[in-house]
Amino acid sequence: MAITASQTNPPQSNLLPDGEPLPSSQLSKEDHLEILRQLYLARYFDVRLIKEKKRGRLRGTLYSSHNQEAVLVGSLFGLKGTDWISPIHRDMPAFFMKDLRAGWDNNDRIGLTIEQVCCQVWGKQDSPGRARDNWSHIGSKSKRIIHSTSMLAGTIPVAAGVVYADRLNGGDAVVLTYNGEGSTAQGIFHEAINFAAVHKLPVITIVENNHWAYGTPTNLEYSQEDFARRADGYGIPGLIADGQDVFDVYDKVMMAVNHARAGKGPSIIECKTYRAYGHGDHDDDRAANYRPEYDAKATYKDDIEHARRDPIDVCKKKLVSLGFITQADADRHVCEYKSADKTKDEDFPPEVVAYLKRGVEYAVKNPVPPAEEGGMWVFRE
Amino acid sequence: MAAIAEPTTGIKKNYLTAIQEALAEEMARNSDMICLGEDIGILGGAFGCTMGLQDQFGPQRVIDMPISEAAIVGSSVGMALNGKTVMAEMQFIDFISCGFDQIVNMMATYHYRTAGEVAINVTLRGPAGGYGGGALYHSQMNESWFCHSPGLKVVVPSTPYDAKGLLKACLRDPNPCLFYEIKQLYRDSKIAEVIPDEDYIVPLGSAAIRRPGTDLTFVTYGQNVYHCLQAADILAEKGYSAEVIDIRSLVPLDEQTILESIKKTNRVVVVNEAPKTCGYAGELVARINEFAFEHLDAPALRVTRLDTPVPWVQPLELFVLPSVEKIVETATRVLRF
Ligand SMILES: Cc1ncc(C[n+]2csc(CCOP(=O)(O)OP(=O)(O)O)c2C)c(N)n1
Ligand SMILES: [Mg+2]
Repeated sequence: MAITASQTNPPQSNLLPDGEPLPSSQLSKEDHLEILRQLYLARYFDVRLIKEKKRGRLRGTLYSSHNQEAVLVGSLFGLKGTDWISPIHRDMPAFFMKDLRAGWDNNDRIGLTIEQVCCQVWGKQDSPGRARDNWSHIGSKSKRIIHSTSMLAGTIPVAAGVVYADRLNGGDAVVLTYNGEGSTAQGIFHEAINFAAVHKLPVITIVENNHWAYGTPTNLEYSQEDFARRADGYGIPGLIADGQDVFDVYDKVMMAVNHARAGKGPSIIECKTYRAYGHGDHDDDRAANYRPEYDAKATYKDDIEHARRDPIDVCKKKLVSLGFITQADADRHVCEYKSADKTKDEDFPPEVVAYLKRGVEYAVKNPVPPAEEGGMWVFRE
Repeated sequence: MAAIAEPTTGIKKNYLTAIQEALAEEMARNSDMICLGEDIGILGGAFGCTMGLQDQFGPQRVIDMPISEAAIVGSSVGMALNGKTVMAEMQFIDFISCGFDQIVNMMATYHYRTAGEVAINVTLRGPAGGYGGGALYHSQMNESWFCHSPGLKVVVPSTPYDAKGLLKACLRDPNPCLFYEIKQLYRDSKIAEVIPDEDYIVPLGSAAIRRPGTDLTFVTYGQNVYHCLQAADILAEKGYSAEVIDIRSLVPLDEQTILESIKKTNRVVVVNEAPKTCGYAGELVARINEFAFEHLDAPALRVTRLDTPVPWVQPLELFVLPSVEKIVETATRVLRF
């Protein structure tokens, strides 16, 4: 089933009380402009990392979030700072974009700084995990970001535990967990959501359905046409969001957040999108070979066509139609529909480039942790 | 103790090619063999070990599995229960923990609890090992979990010849086998070698002497074999002759080859890259004390990883893992005892 705006599935999952307006219709002009800026920032972060990696300045595998930025920005934008998130490998920008709405330079915001995230990417000592584990395997208790391992879907039960405890502590936090569609095949995905559903815990599972799990297409991972239908099996709402449309993601996530905060329990939001490159940068060339044949004959063909719309383009069109920006504004910095290697700094607003520059410069100068740290922190002494 | 002598002329093949060949040849000779794992078909495996297999043998015999190690292991057991020979790939051996129950409780015990009615011919293989910047979840050597689960055979090849011969031996063995591939060796051209064109196996439970010596025995496996060989070079400059034994197979273990060596050298150092506590190195030291009790002139010592995970950035990673220097230092202590 192809995506249409505001479509929900199964039918019980229209989470808007009768007559209530869409959450995105309540966003101000300033909010709209900020959302576009954040999309640019997520894209630029990815482009910059791809370039740094190509120049041999980074170690490890880079899992690009290109073309999936609307899922990150749209889901994070409406959260409170006190809410928790649990990002995975493809969600690197989420670490510094959490609570970014509270101000890019606001030291009190509850998210990691661009410097901290760059230190992690560069393997430096001011990474929140002191570069002990790689890439997305970071987090912060104080910033309310759950620290993932490599084991896919492994943080969902942890997320459930976190919000269970938060409730006992008198909090009203929700938790957003991010997962690829392939990761949903893990038993722990089911076990954790089942627990959360039984206790009506405020656990919102975002499924970033980019239609490929490494070299395996969606139809070999699960047999539902729309993954969101799986929610029905847990007796919780399942929503489908257009993963290219930041405002649709925002709407669906805010419906789920309001539902969860009201004590009505978890939900699953399937965001339909498409992976821009290979699984990781090591896989770009191979992906160009293995994907087209399967995509052409797949049942999800329409979804892929839909996901060819660049989320930045989709957002700009909305802002133009609302009269918040002019076409000339939209055309000032054009990074949409360009691959990383074809993208230049001028294709982004200068404040975005400057923000990242700050992070990169800090990270480059920051030292690697001393070797002895390898033997530390096995136990708390 | 290879079944066929290693030829010296021909094209050199790396460790990865040896594994690819073993799988393709066994699939061709055994029509009851099935391969399953994540991304092994369309992609040909994360490291390419199953490259071309699905084209050759079809998607029914080369299955791209949903990302569930538990389902991969458990369904392999079922296929084996119903007469198939199964190769199941773990994309990284670190993820094997997600299939743990199916391995240690379902698969390992099957023969025992059915009083021998059922033999489970499953080989679980996957890339393992540190020294590559893979960090906590792409660097593990967790072989001792499975050595500690009776009913599983555990193998760790360090050369292309052994990789091919041991993998074939596992696939022909009626018991469940865990096959640890050292991913740092996959494309290491320094260890590429000419391997026979004709069919051969390396029997499980046979160690290899990688370097003969008279003063001290290194007992090791995996990539630490190469560290021990380097340590032996350094010791040679100091006038000590060290023998290097690559056990290759942990369960079953070739105690005889180790014993014969110790009878000659009377001193032994065990080296592996797993954490120290309850690791296989500790098992080796204990066994050596039992079977070579009267031949030891010095206590057997071990060099292992610290009792830590494997951290990411290089200085930290090298700090916790065995190094040539640490091996030489420990060997010197044993030699001077
Ligand atoms: C338990 C476990 N098994 C296997 C892997 C290896 N692995 C890492 S990412 C990945 C594919 C994930 O696909 P998906 O969940 O769709 O996320 P995407 O990469 O498409 O964003 C695999 C198989 C892993 N990290 N953890
Ligand atoms: Mg995916």
